[in-house]
Amino acid sequence: MNEQAVYLSDKLDAILAGAGSLLPELVLAGFFLLLVTLDLFKMPSIKRLLPWLALTGLFWVLVLQVLGGYTSGDEPFLDLLLSDGMARFGGILFSAAGIFTVLMSLQHPRLEKLQEGRGEFYALILILVLGLNLMAKSVNLLMVFLAIELVSIASYILTLTFKQEKRAVEAGLKYVLYGTLSAGVMLYGMSFFYGLTGTLNYASEDFALGLLQADTLLVTVAAVLVLAGFFFKISAAPFHFWAPDVYQGAPMPVVALFSTGPKMAGILVILRFVENFTDAEAFADVQLLLGIAALVTLAIGNFTALWQRTPRRLLAYSSVSHAGFLLTALLAFGTGYTSSVLFYLTVLLFMNFGIFLLLQVAEEKYGVQTLEDFSGLGRLLPYFGVMSVLYLLSLTGLPPLAGFMGKLLIFSNVWEAYTLSGNSMLLALLIIGILLTGVALFYYIKIPYYLFFKRNQSHENLVISPSDKLMLALFALPLLVFFFKPDLLLHWIEQLLAQTL
Amino acid sequence: MNDFILTSLIFTPLLAALVILLLPVRLHKPIKAVTLLAALVQMGLAILLYFRFDGGAAANGQMGYQFVQKLNWIGFSLGNLGRFQIDYFVGVDGVSISLVLLTGLVGVIGVISSWNITKNVKGYFLLYLLLLTSVMGCFLALDFFLFYLFFEFMLLPMYFLIGIWGGPKREYAAIKFFIYTLVGSLFILIVMIGLYTSVIDPAATAVQMGLLEQGQAASAEVLTQVQQMLQRNQISNYNLVHTFSIPAMMEPANFIPNSLLHVLSGSILWDMPLRFIAFLLLFAGFAIKVPSVPVHTWLPDAHVEAPTPISVLLAAILLKVGGYGLIRIVYPIFPDAGTYFSILVGGLGVLSIIYGAMNALAMKDLKKLIAYSSVSHMGFVLLGLATLTNEGVNGAIYMMFSHGIISAMLFLVVGVIYDRAHDRMIHNFRGLANAMPAYTAFVVVAFFASLGMPGFSGFISELLVLVGGFGAPEATGLLPRWLTIVAVFGLLLSAAYYLWALQRMFFGKFWIFPELRQNALITDLNAREYLMLVPLAVLALVFGIFPHLLLDKIGLTVNGYTEMVLLRGQEQLGLIISTLQK
Repeated sequence: MNEQAVYLSDKLDAILAGAGSLLPELVLAGFFLLLVTLDLFKMPSIKRLLPWLALTGLFWVLVLQVLGGYTSGDEPFLDLLLSDGMARFGGILFSAAGIFTVLMSLQHPRLEKLQEGRGEFYALILILVLGLNLMAKSVNLLMVFLAIELVSIASYILTLTFKQEKRAVEAGLKYVLYGTLSAGVMLYGMSFFYGLTGTLNYASEDFALGLLQADTLLVTVAAVLVLAGFFFKISAAPFHFWAPDVYQGAPMPVVALFSTGPKMAGILVILRFVENFTDAEAFADVQLLLGIAALVTLAIGNFTALWQRTPRRLLAYSSVSHAGFLLTALLAFGTGYTSSVLFYLTVLLFMNFGIFLLLQVAEEKYGVQTLEDFSGLGRLLPYFGVMSVLYLLSLTGLPPLAGFMGKLLIFSNVWEAYTLSGNSMLLALLIIGILLTGVALFYYIKIPYYLFFKRNQSHENLVISPSDKLMLALFALPLLVFFFKPDLLLHWIEQLLAQTL
Repeated sequence: MNDFILTSLIFTPLLAALVILLLPVRLHKPIKAVTLLAALVQMGLAILLYFRFDGGAAANGQMGYQFVQKLNWIGFSLGNLGRFQIDYFVGVDGVSISLVLLTGLVGVIGVISSWNITKNVKGYFLLYLLLLTSVMGCFLALDFFLFYLFFEFMLLPMYFLIGIWGGPKREYAAIKFFIYTLVGSLFILIVMIGLYTSVIDPAATAVQMGLLEQGQAASAEVLTQVQQMLQRNQISNYNLVHTFSIPAMMEPANFIPNSLLHVLSGSILWDMPLRFIAFLLLFAGFAIKVPSVPVHTWLPDAHVEAPTPISVLLAAILLKVGGYGLIRIVYPIFPDAGTYFSILVGGLGVLSIIYGAMNALAMKDLKKLIAYSSVSHMGFVLLGLATLTNEGVNGAIYMMFSHGIISAMLFLVVGVIYDRAHDRMIHNFRGLANAMPAYTAFVVVAFFASLGMPGFSGFISELLVLVGGFGAPEATGLLPRWLTIVAVFGLLLSAAYYLWALQRMFFGKFWIFPELRQNALITDLNAREYLMLVPLAVLALVFGIFPHLLLDKIGLTVNGYTEMVLLRGQEQLGLIISTLQK
């Protein structure tokens, strides 16, 4: 504990000194307040302005974090929030995700016509992104908890945007129930850690020392409990049950955001958390635990996706399987895997927004509800068809798309970790992870299969709007670029990471 | 010119594809014309390359790559794993020159054969061109990553070409093809990751260590120095430059000492050295593509459902990627396991020969018969390679070339009868020779060429493989003689199924099944069909009578190849075994 925090004046000084590092969060909070206030006015002109205002805020934060320089970034703020390069890169991804969500929402016909709650919708996106930023920066268990809850509560409400729909209500209810349960479990686990180490600051040396002295079994139990909460956010098994229902019930832009934002932030939190368990031999249990979770997540995600009949549920399970890949990546202790993970997260962002935008177009404009409804669309709309093939191949992880590069980097790290440690679980994960790509192809390919191989006469005069076309191309471009020149992104990530080391 | 000839070979079709992308959908004629032009240019370049390729340059037991182009493509550092380097690295040697020529020739035939496609013309020719680019890329890539990129990318156009333009069960066949080949390529991916984390590029590492200036050519001494330092663990991790280069992976001195695939690592998994497992994974991946029994079952389905030009391409070129991968990648990188498992490879080859032939004998559908004959003939490639004798490997390469020409002809011949009668069941036809004499003549040529009649290219390749097989017990001691004796029975069987089919369909009084008569219009060959069949028949004859045309180009490379693989194989096998015994 910091001595200086005892006196109020010192504390104030510390807050003022460190506040600069929280500039992005402050901007987000400011715009949130602005949006909520303006939402009180009933003038249509102001209402129309709200999404653009949210966009401005998010864009500001994006630019701020890309440029950097607002913080020295060495000292954690009040021992709670560390603004290092990883958090900054995460922040860039989150604000990009927020911007994409707002843009997608502007394309969503029913969201645009929403009578009540349209202002709140955009305000909540801001608050969710704020929560994600806090998650990525947290170095304190309690702060992690608060940030996760902030994200969760915003998520619950966003899920329920279309309150009059039955499936939205079902989704919201299930989300809340699972969410509160896992939050409770996580908090319980955190209390164990506090008891064992006497500190909540899990990046500190006290924490690591405390763990070393504590009973291994107890540490493992506590880690299981805490990880449960994290797994819930990244929809890893066995805490993934909410995902298919929420993906089925929430508006498409929100689903796209859920499949990227919280997952990315959750992975960063886990990444910071497991750093404590990398060195000591005594904590091989935690590695085993993560390994089993990764394996189960991969298996459940991929095999359950095989039986899905709606594209939303299919992508929900696909998102579960991606959580599995990310967990696999986190197992490659000792190989400097952070940049590979961040690379994969970036690719995931573009892939998921691309595919969910496609799905939004299909659902809102062509009335697609099940996989069969895709029949013949690819032939009628070659642009739509080609784009979906592109995104789905990237999700599968086939060249020449960035999804392949992401997996290649992750698996290289795992192989290297296996070489270093000789832990045969890693080899098993590597082989199973790669072979499951074959299974993944089997369900992803269903969509192009219907798009191109099946015929359907009922679709007539279908068009795809220029703005949709543009956005689809925009999400697709990085997937190609990051395959052919991944070094562009990796160099940048390396630079950001190096700044704070 | 010399620098860019390979790059133009690969990317001409891609360029044409971009042109087609911009053309409006309704312009069928220009789309076809652009495709034909691209294929012709590719063929021209391939022929030019064939004549310029110097068969004598690969002397001194070295593997000489010619027309090499090497450009830095991707380079990044990954924490304490060192630097990663992926190159655009293409080159041609005796192994690939024959297949490049084949691709050029069959590519044009395929376009002519596609001329009467009416359904979604733009999409078809776009995919066709993408396919040509990726196959050519596969044969020319010397960087494993580049190879894998083209290898995987081949699947996608093929999937759509079978699935959209195919026969009644096309969807099933397309998915089966896709899944089988993808699983194969995933096996390859596992080993690829293992290899490139284990292998360094000595020249680039020298640059990283400051021994060389950027862009300075590396002398042999520097390379040896780097390799020696590597083996003594004197290079820090940060300076290691990992590479996907296939030639670098072939050098055991380039493996990082404590990496799992190093010969001396002593790493075992499931009671087997890890190098052996890597070999088996790679072998499985390419065996699916060959295809070898028991992973051949996708082939008859894909062939039967694919439209004629795609069957031609599949049999003539795509199958060759499997054999080529074995020769180019699997054996040179894992010579130890290659010699250890030669009985497995040769055994599967012989099994394919016999089992494929027996199946062909039982088929009622002419196209399926030919598909199984492909399985049977590709078995010779495996057998020839497994002998690791000069004759055997030459025969394997010659077989790939010759089968490419002959199987293209066979599938075209089937397409001819299917176009006319909309059926190709053997028992629905009799006495076709009376109605279609010219057609029958070409069928006889194709069948006889395929069953190994002297004077046709098929004979040369089978002869070489069998000579290699019989000589193997003395020359390399890898294969028992009875295996080759069994393979000879495959020749008998292939004579049986071809002659029997010929007798049933073409001889006797003209008759076709009554229900087919309303739709059938039995006429002899038209000009377009002559245009495709005559050149192929001529090629089969020319390469049957003058085998030196090809053997002169590939012979020296193969000499160096077998020598290297055998020598290193036995040496490394000894090291692996002695390490394990410690």
